[in-house]
Amino acid sequence: MGRKKKKQLKPWCWYCNRDFDDEKILIQHQKAKHFKCHICHKKLYTGPGLAIHCMQVHKETIDAVPNAIPGRTDIELEIYGMEGIPEKDMDERRRLLEQKTQESQKKKQQDDSDEYDDDESAASTSFQPQPVQPQQGYIPPMAQPGLPPVPGAPGMPPGIPPLMPGVPPLMPGMPPVMPGMPPGLHHQRKYTQSFCGENIMMPMGGMMPPGPGIPPLMPGMPPGMPPPVPRPGIPPMTQAQAVSAPGILNRPPAPTATVPAPQPPVTKPLFPSAGQAQAAVPGPVGTDFKPLNNTPATTTEPPKPTFPAYTQSTASTTSTTNSTAAKPAASITSKPATLTTTSATSKLIHPDEDISLEERRAQLPKYQRNLPRPGQAPIGNPPVGPIGGMMPPQPGIPQQQGMRPPMPPHGQYGGHHQGMPGFLPGAMPPYGQGPPMVPPYQGGPPRPPMGMRPPVMSQGGRY
Amino acid sequence: MSLFGTTSKFGSNGSSVGTFGSAAADHHNPMKDIEVTSSPDDSIGCLSFSPASLPGNFLVAGSWANDVRCWEVQDNGQTVPKAQHIHAGPVLGVCWSDDGSKVFTASCDKTAKMWDLNSNLAIQIAQHDAPIKTVHWIKASNYRCVMTGSWDRTLKFWDTRSSNPVMALQLPERCYCADVVYPMAVVATARRGLIVYQLENQPSEVRRVESSLKFQNRCVAIFKDKHHKPNGFALGSIEGKIAFHYLNVPNSVKDSFTFKCHRSNRANSSGSQDIYAVNGMAFHPIHGTLATVGSDGRFNFWDKDGRAKLKTSEPLDQPISACCFNHNGNIFAYASSYDWSKGHEFYNPKRKNYIFLRNAAEELKPRNGK
Repeated sequence: MGRKKKKQLKPWCWYCNRDFDDEKILIQHQKAKHFKCHICHKKLYTGPGLAIHCMQVHKETIDAVPNAIPGRTDIELEIYGMEGIPEKDMDERRRLLEQKTQESQKKKQQDDSDEYDDDESAASTSFQPQPVQPQQGYIPPMAQPGLPPVPGAPGMPPGIPPLMPGVPPLMPGMPPVMPGMPPGLHHQRKYTQSFCGENIMMPMGGMMPPGPGIPPLMPGMPPGMPPPVPRPGIPPMTQAQAVSAPGILNRPPAPTATVPAPQPPVTKPLFPSAGQAQAAVPGPVGTDFKPLNNTPATTTEPPKPTFPAYTQSTASTTSTTNSTAAKPAASITSKPATLTTTSATSKLIHPDEDISLEERRAQLPKYQRNLPRPGQAPIGNPPVGPIGGMMPPQPGIPQQQGMRPPMPPHGQYGGHHQGMPGFLPGAMPPYGQGPPMVPPYQGGPPRPPMGMRPPVMSQGGRY
Repeated sequence: MSLFGTTSKFGSNGSSVGTFGSAAADHHNPMKDIEVTSSPDDSIGCLSFSPASLPGNFLVAGSWANDVRCWEVQDNGQTVPKAQHIHAGPVLGVCWSDDGSKVFTASCDKTAKMWDLNSNLAIQIAQHDAPIKTVHWIKASNYRCVMTGSWDRTLKFWDTRSSNPVMALQLPERCYCADVVYPMAVVATARRGLIVYQLENQPSEVRRVESSLKFQNRCVAIFKDKHHKPNGFALGSIEGKIAFHYLNVPNSVKDSFTFKCHRSNRANSSGSQDIYAVNGMAFHPIHGTLATVGSDGRFNFWDKDGRAKLKTSEPLDQPISACCFNHNGNIFAYASSYDWSKGHEFYNPKRKNYIFLRNAAEELKPRNGK
């Protein structure tokens, strides 16, 4: 994209506040999420269009735009893409974005990846020491406004070299970064860790392409992970990033102001270097500085919320939980060993503990009955039990484990021992050859060392 | 709809063979697909079709009744039971050898067996300290072996002739699911672990990937690029989401994304949702589109390149616990049986477990454009 002005902001959806990097995608999103008839799934073009369709075709009235956040559900407003958005909402949006950029600048300075900064030629002097001092850890000044995707990018690069003596490579990277940014950003305000975590998915990825420029920038930061984040600080950052893009557009002059300002109130350097960053994170950390194991509840916290539907493709995500976003995730964070039960709006159909369904089921005594116990006699050819169909209960089949309650309630154990119930005893093997009674050792001698009984001989397997 | 068009191998048999009680009122088969005869007596944990090297189509299914059954699926849709073999515990994984002569089965009895279909003999070829969840056959240019992933946190490789593994790799956590498309293998473990291996010369770990899903891993499937080389994988979690991770691709960050799926919206569109686990997934061997099946009793077909959902089925009255495609993608098999997603209370041992076969030649064609 490279257009300087996109309706003065990155295209965003008025109904749910999501950001998009292209108006086309925004429109597709609106059609799929907000203007889609819930009865026949026909996609309309506008809110009033949907209302009229429902009335005429289904004789139903609707009073709110589906999947819209409260306050933005007006069905009468004719909004298409970015057109039709009331001016006051546009202003509000701009203000919000500005706020975010400011916040992020203050807090973080992190920045990661690109620093685009807009020209801070004055700043250049201040930057010089940057690479040397870890105080902020990174080249905060670079980050400023907005990090990477500076919409103003075209103008910025020139400013940068002077700024970052150490980071010239950044430049080339910048412009391309821009396009990438937006995609990620439409999740407004909840990026947090998940954002960081998703190395792969992240929109920040957009920033990645500029890759060559970035690594030098952030020593040790995994490319694309703008703020290595073990910290909650990140979230704001990401938001800022998202926001910053538009914000930057709006405030090209701002940078100077921000440059000096951003000494993050947080004193600890976020990422002085990769090594340090890692130290900050307990436990094994993945490439994104997110701990791989989720055991420490705290570390898992940040990633959880927000993820919902980080997707680049707008059409395919259901947005019902989007705006409410953090809910399902948030709860999860608190339990390393059990799942969250989710928010009021969604419920995970899964038992609470975070073990797999199979593990849970396998613990039942019922499924453990036939497991070989040490020292058991080998499973030989079982007597063929009463055959009557698939796996009729086999009362009284001597079970070597000695515990066969004669009630294979569900008939499953029966099967274990029967040759092939229901089949002609000695029936031909399916593929037509091979004597059924051949000793099992195909591979030769070392069977016993396997430590198990000789292979089960499945005789004649028809059933 | 007619299930079998002229292009499919199935022929024109439109009715299911051997249906037991397919009453119109119940929803055990809302998609009116073919029911496989003599289906297992307890939940089906895994399904696998024979490879192209075997003429015809043979389906094997492992179940919680400790058995592994094999059917021949004929072109007219008839399914003929052929053989079965029994483990000492529920069977969690099945896999065919590349020449179609053997089936490898992995069980909660901590062993994996090699079942020679010609002789109908099964011998043990692997041993772990805990149930074995996954079993895959690896055919490399200079070796052949069986890879088993277990809840004992190890991944072992077995030459079927020796009782000791030729290699054992430590996993960060219990193995929950895995997939192999030579030369890539992916293992997903508990606690959202994801490890990618390369299999040339000998298996070795390539990297650990940070899962983009926030919940427990449940199933994984590798996909290929247009040159039929594996270049990424899809991961399904218990939270009704699938994530596509591209590996070794320059824009890997940008090209990875997720879909929400297997969720049911309650009546009002902005109301609450039930989120179901994705129990299984399989890529169509020709079109590269993806099928997923979930605890909600539905299957979905997806086009990952077009980022679109191609189809959602009607809900079955039980969860769908496993799925797979046959070697040429004409048949999609899915198993309807309880997966324990609602715990012990909802288990009804008397409920029938089904395996359905559907003509997949047409429905999984990718959508044009996005």
